[in-house]
Amino acid sequence: MQALDIQVLAISADELFAQMTFALSLHSPFPFLSDHPELQVIRRYAGVQPHPSDPTRQVARRALFLIDKQGMVRGKWQGETEDMLPADEVMKVAHEIAGAS
Amino acid sequence: MRSGKHERRRGEPCATALPGVRQAGGPRAGRACKRFPVLVVLVVVLSPFAGFPATLADLLTAFDLASYARHMRAPVFSATTTTEQPVALTALQGKVVLLNFWATWCPECRPELRGLEQLHHGLASRGLAVLGVNAGEDLTIIQRYTRNLGVTFPLLLDPQHTISQLYGVAGVPTTFLLGRDGRTVALAVGAREWQSPAARRILDALLAEPAPPKDGR
Repeated sequence: MQALDIQVLAISADELFAQMTFALSLHSPFPFLSDHPELQVIRRYAGVQPHPSDPTRQVARRALFLIDKQGMVRGKWQGETEDMLPADEVMKVAHEIAGAS
Repeated sequence: MRSGKHERRRGEPCATALPGVRQAGGPRAGRACKRFPVLVVLVVVLSPFAGFPATLADLLTAFDLASYARHMRAPVFSATTTTEQPVALTALQGKVVLLNFWATWCPECRPELRGLEQLHHGLASRGLAVLGVNAGEDLTIIQRYTRNLGVTFPLLLDPQHTISQLYGVAGVPTTFLLGRDGRTVALAVGAREWQSPAARRILDALLAEPAPPKDGR
C-alpha cells in the first residue's frame, strides 16, 4: 500500500486505550483511530450492529473503503465479524486507482 | 550536485543489501550508510560496556516490550480479589503497577505467575504492586489452580471481562506496566521472564522515579 501511495487508516468503536493496545500488539505500521463514544465516522461509513456477546453495546460493522485522491469512494467491501476481507480484490482496485492518478 | 551524486552512489549498496530498511528508515537509512565509519566509533564509545546508562526505552526494547509513545493514563477500575478483598487502581497511587491478565487454561501463564510472585516478594516493599486479572473464570476453578502455585499477590476477578475490554486485551497472557504517575509505560503480549535481570533493570528504573503528590495521579 505504501508503494501505491495509499494511506491505510483503521477505525473501530473501541476506546482509545484499547485501540492502542491492539495497535501495539500488532506492531502496526499504520494508525488506529478510535471513534468512541459517538461512532460518528462509523455510522457514516460502515454502520453499527450489536456486540456479539453484549447486545447493549454498539460495534462497527466490518467494512473497508478505498478513497481516491479526489475524495471519491472507489471501492467498498462489507462483511460479517468472522469474514476475511478480499485482499486480492482490494489490491486490484488499489492498483487501478494508483495507475489512474 | 556532483558531490550529492557521489554520496548517493556510496550509500546505495547499504540500502540494497538490507531490503525494507531503506523504506522504513527513509532518507535517514541512506545517511547512516554514508557515515558508517563515524557510526562505528560512536557505537564503541557509547556501548553499555563503556558504562553508558541505557534509557528506559532501550531497556523496554531489550525485553521485547512495546512502549507507549505518548502519555497514556491507564484506565481506572475497581474489582474484587479471589479472597474477596476490594482493589481499586486509584488506591495504588504512587506505586509502580504490573497488571497481568491470565487464565488457568493458558499454559504460558503458570510459569509467568511464578515469576511474578518472585517479583512481588522482592519488590513490594519498594513500591511495586503486582496484580493478576483472571479472564472471567469461576472462583472455584481459580482457587483450585492457584492452591499449589503459591501466589500471594492479589488476583482480581473479571467475570464480565470489563477490565480486559477496558485495556483492549485480546489474549492471555498480556501484561501492562504502569509508572508511579499512573502512565502506561509498556505492554507485553505473551509471557515474559519477569524475574530475569532484564526485567529487573526496567522495574528498578521505574521504582527510582519519584512518586507524584498524593492526588496527582
